[in-house]
Amino acid sequence: MNESDETKFDEELTRLAAALPTQVSPDRDLWPAIEQAINTPAGRANTIWNTPWAQAAAVVLLVAGSSGITYVAVRDDGPVSPVVIDTANVFETVSGDFGRKYTLGNQYLDAHSELQNELDEKMQFLSPEARQVVTKNLQTIRAAIKDINQALAAEPGNMLLQELLLSAYHGEISLMRKVDGIANSAMRRNDI
Amino acid sequence: MRKLITISLLFLGAPSVAEDYQQILDVEGDAEIIIYNTAGEVEVRGWSRSQVEVEADLGSGIEELIFEVDGNEVLIEVKPANRHHSHDIASDLIITVPYNSSLEISTVSADISVEDVKGEQYIESVSGDIDTEAYDSDLTIDSVSGDIDIEGDNKKIRIRIETVSGNIDIESVDGEFESETVSGDLVLYDSRFEEVSAESVSGDMIFHAELYGESRMKFETVNGDIDIKFNGKVSARFDIETFNGDIRNCFGPEPVRTSKYAPGRELKFSEGGGDGRVVIRTLNGDLRLCKK
Repeated sequence: MNESDETKFDEELTRLAAALPTQVSPDRDLWPAIEQAINTPAGRANTIWNTPWAQAAAVVLLVAGSSGITYVAVRDDGPVSPVVIDTANVFETVSGDFGRKYTLGNQYLDAHSELQNELDEKMQFLSPEARQVVTKNLQTIRAAIKDINQALAAEPGNMLLQELLLSAYHGEISLMRKVDGIANSAMRRNDI
Repeated sequence: MRKLITISLLFLGAPSVAEDYQQILDVEGDAEIIIYNTAGEVEVRGWSRSQVEVEADLGSGIEELIFEVDGNEVLIEVKPANRHHSHDIASDLIITVPYNSSLEISTVSADISVEDVKGEQYIESVSGDIDTEAYDSDLTIDSVSGDIDIEGDNKKIRIRIETVSGNIDIESVDGEFESETVSGDLVLYDSRFEEVSAESVSGDMIFHAELYGESRMKFETVNGDIDIKFNGKVSARFDIETFNGDIRNCFGPEPVRTSKYAPGRELKFSEGGGDGRVVIRTLNGDLRLCKK
């Protein structure tokens, strides 16, 4: 992607972000999970994160964040809503998970998978050293996503974890897309 | 009317020995310099003449050196022969430009250094180190693994840096700063900011600098540690939260647990008149907050 495309993309992203509603009504099928989270077990700390407003805010953040990340990944596709996932006793995170209860949705997963395919293809144009740096740092980001996700599974209403997780997903997408630029740059200069 | 001057050295069949090259061309007004060099070094210096000089020590695998002037636009491009060629493509460039030139420099592994150039700079490199001076104009750097050093002149500018694993060292700058890294460390030293924003995954952050009265500062990291020592007076509201790290605060107020059942800690307080705003978020990183 050249600089002009990036500027255009940034402007489009800014425009879409500005157009996002400041209040979003979650999809109907999200509410059972929210209600379940609101009805916390006896003895659980009564923090602000356990209030209905905080739970609703979490969903708003997730909807907006999911839409933003998916837009970053797919550019032309429309926003998606988060999907409620089954809870399990042992939480093994996979790409797109957002704590134990939500995911960023199939559209995000499709976009991520497409980006991963492009990444695999473009990596061959990088020098071995650059490949190693990209691989190691993608591992760092993915390990962070896993850590945050597992913490979020234990504390689903924690806004700090939600913000950090969205940010980490965004960082992963940014790095995957950055490889495209590096590979094009390397090819343009007929190097390595 | 614009005049186009092109000097293009073509090495057909690719030379087997390195070539030296030196040329000066006149340029109009504040020059806009574009430089491409894959490997080796790029050294750019400012001077008072309305001329651009290129001195090059070209690798044996270089097919062509383009030095082109079109009005105030200057292109300097080192073109390697082909990707399968076994000759050395590392080329060293020393480029001297008018002081007020703007720069767009792009390399793969070539190191970049810039001295005495006052125009806007856009620098990108995959693995080359970047060492530049910032004067009156904005600076944008995009890197993967090369380290980045910027020394400013305490004039208000905007600096934006994106890197993957490169370390960032900034000294004596003023104005706005924004950075994103994955594992690279960030050091902001002896500087003054109206707005500063830094994100990392595992990189540490050191801020030994000053904030203006109504500044905004946001640091976010997953696993990196943060060390903040304010120079001068501080007037800000602080909003700090870590999920699993320690907070040490020299300003007095103690952090509190966010929940009885989770390790998270938060610290909210106001210092001075509370004009600015400092927001810090970490997952596992430790934070030290102090003033000189």
